[in-house]
Amino acid sequence: MTTAQDYLRAYETPRFAQLAPNLNAACFSLMKLIPARFMVDQAEASGRLRQEGHIIETTSGTFGLAIAMLATARGYALTLVTASSLIDLKLRRRLEQLGAKVMAIDDPQGDGNQRGRLEYLQQSLQDHPDTYWPRQYDNPENRLAYARLADLVVRSFGRIDCVVGCVGTGGSLCGTGGFLRELFPDLRMIAVDTHRSMLFGQPVGRRMLRGLGNSVLPDNVRHEMIDDIHWVGALPAYAMAHGLFRDHGLFMGPTSGAAALVGAWFARQNPEASTVVIMPDEGHRHSDTVYNPDWLAGLKGWPISIPLEPTVLTRIRPAEETAWTRFPWNRRTLNAVLAGADGLSPTQ
Amino acid sequence: MTQTSTLRSGQQTHSRKINTETVAWPLVVGVGRAHAHHGEFLQGVFERENGRLCRGLVTLPLTSQESLATFWPDQQAGIRSRPANRTKAARAAALTLEHVGLAGRGGELTIESSIPVGHGYGSSTADVIASIRAVAASAGVTLRQSTVARLAVAAESASDAIAYGDQPILFAHREGRTIEHFGGEFPPLLLVGFRDGSARPIDTLSMPRARYDGEEIGLFRVLRGLANRAIRQQDPRLLGRVATISASISQRHLPKASFNTVLDIARAHGACGVQVAHSGTLIGILLDATAPRAAMRAAELARQVSSAGLQGVHTFTLNAETRLIQ
Repeated sequence: MTTAQDYLRAYETPRFAQLAPNLNAACFSLMKLIPARFMVDQAEASGRLRQEGHIIETTSGTFGLAIAMLATARGYALTLVTASSLIDLKLRRRLEQLGAKVMAIDDPQGDGNQRGRLEYLQQSLQDHPDTYWPRQYDNPENRLAYARLADLVVRSFGRIDCVVGCVGTGGSLCGTGGFLRELFPDLRMIAVDTHRSMLFGQPVGRRMLRGLGNSVLPDNVRHEMIDDIHWVGALPAYAMAHGLFRDHGLFMGPTSGAAALVGAWFARQNPEASTVVIMPDEGHRHSDTVYNPDWLAGLKGWPISIPLEPTVLTRIRPAEETAWTRFPWNRRTLNAVLAGADGLSPTQ
Repeated sequence: MTQTSTLRSGQQTHSRKINTETVAWPLVVGVGRAHAHHGEFLQGVFERENGRLCRGLVTLPLTSQESLATFWPDQQAGIRSRPANRTKAARAAALTLEHVGLAGRGGELTIESSIPVGHGYGSSTADVIASIRAVAASAGVTLRQSTVARLAVAAESASDAIAYGDQPILFAHREGRTIEHFGGEFPPLLLVGFRDGSARPIDTLSMPRARYDGEEIGLFRVLRGLANRAIRQQDPRLLGRVATISASISQRHLPKASFNTVLDIARAHGACGVQVAHSGTLIGILLDATAPRAAMRAAELARQVSSAGLQGVHTFTLNAETRLIQ
């Protein structure tokens, strides 16, 4: 193992922060290093990725950053396919500094043009069949990688009753929760999403809170594992992120704020339960926005105080960016819930 | 360490004059012991520090039964074992002589063991380790535990963690090295052990190695973490959970017919969990030794297991200060 690889293994290790006596947070600098490293390791071991080979992935977020760090350290070429509307200049510069080729596909509709990105990616794979495509959305290794987090959690806290985490690909929550539930079958899994993400049955629309949610449905989202779903708007997420920094010295990204909001609420409701909340990345990327008072002042509805509890929905529907809603999912499939919403399927 | 240095000088003399036989033997009659085990708390595939996967296990020590080896050095080369079929023990003795710099010396190795063969009690490893210790004692050397473990694996290709006594460790049984030292001691347990009725004695080394899938390998990682926590916190319930899940995975590879019945009995008695011998027929139900009426409950549990038709039922302790009711 080279020193760079060793370093990246340490980099993917979270620090644990106690937010309340029964609530601990796994605070990552860059959580996506966990699945990225696991998938690259597996691809190397199986021969899918050869020495000095080529990796391609469609991403506009931190998975791209993680895989770019690995690719550079291990000598692979990397192409990241994103949409012109999604990639921010600062991230793009960082990726290019790491030697990644960033392909920003035109996105006239501003919806991320997932179809156009996949077409480009498929074409590249056809032209260069040796290229390795990690497929973080659908590759089960994304979930399996989180045995590492589940290991660290039980080493530190033993018995766990509830895990709270954001859902984008489903890898971190369904992976970590899946392993923890093998140990503790009564474990509650609480998913955190945002309004107008389609993952848990909302109609797709413009989303202000990025880094969680999705406009397509990855295979790694395992609905039947989820007990409760919360949709957190951008503003409560920002307010909670500020709270984490102020009260705990945790300078985290806004999705961590959303997860902490839900985790803290659950922990207050269930003082006997031991709860872990997953916080995926730090706040530095958001210092010009989420942590910038001038930028915040332009937001409709800002300032907002940290809400104490969500609005319970009886029917899944989108809400304002100032809102926080919750729906009891009860470990059902997406189809069962959607059918139930139309009165076609009895609730459990 | 004066013993070692004495030996070193003896060694040099010895290696110079081995054919003239003029040197005084540094060897005396040596005795070594090693206890049995009752299968494993955990067995699977684990990541080593270098990132590579290797097979490993956490042995459940059974100190009430042991193998006693005596090494009688003589003027002939080679190891003659009694009983004569203990070839692995003889090989271990020869390797140990070599290790202490006395290759070419020989003697008689007698093994007296109370450990039943072929059920997963580790009878073979106990013989091997007792023999290594007997030869080391004969040469006046106290071997490191890691050396004993390595010699044992060299002698019989797979071993268990008995070289480490009752220390809680995750042991790479085909490489003879420690993957993780859990530190301290096992939490206090009472165990009701027995044999799965369906199974016959097993030749451990002729068994095909279990092939684990990605989910199982991930789960082993988490179980290792929980074992670490259970031992650090002296929590028998968490350790019982590790054992039960590991045993459930073992069911996919070496099924035990009575396993589900045993799980039901364990649950009904509020036990901490169920463990098995992953290459044997043994099953054990784990009870918290510090719980009220623990000995009484173990006795009740043993009666129920017997009446369910399971064989060889006995109760034993691990790191517990409890007086058993047999």
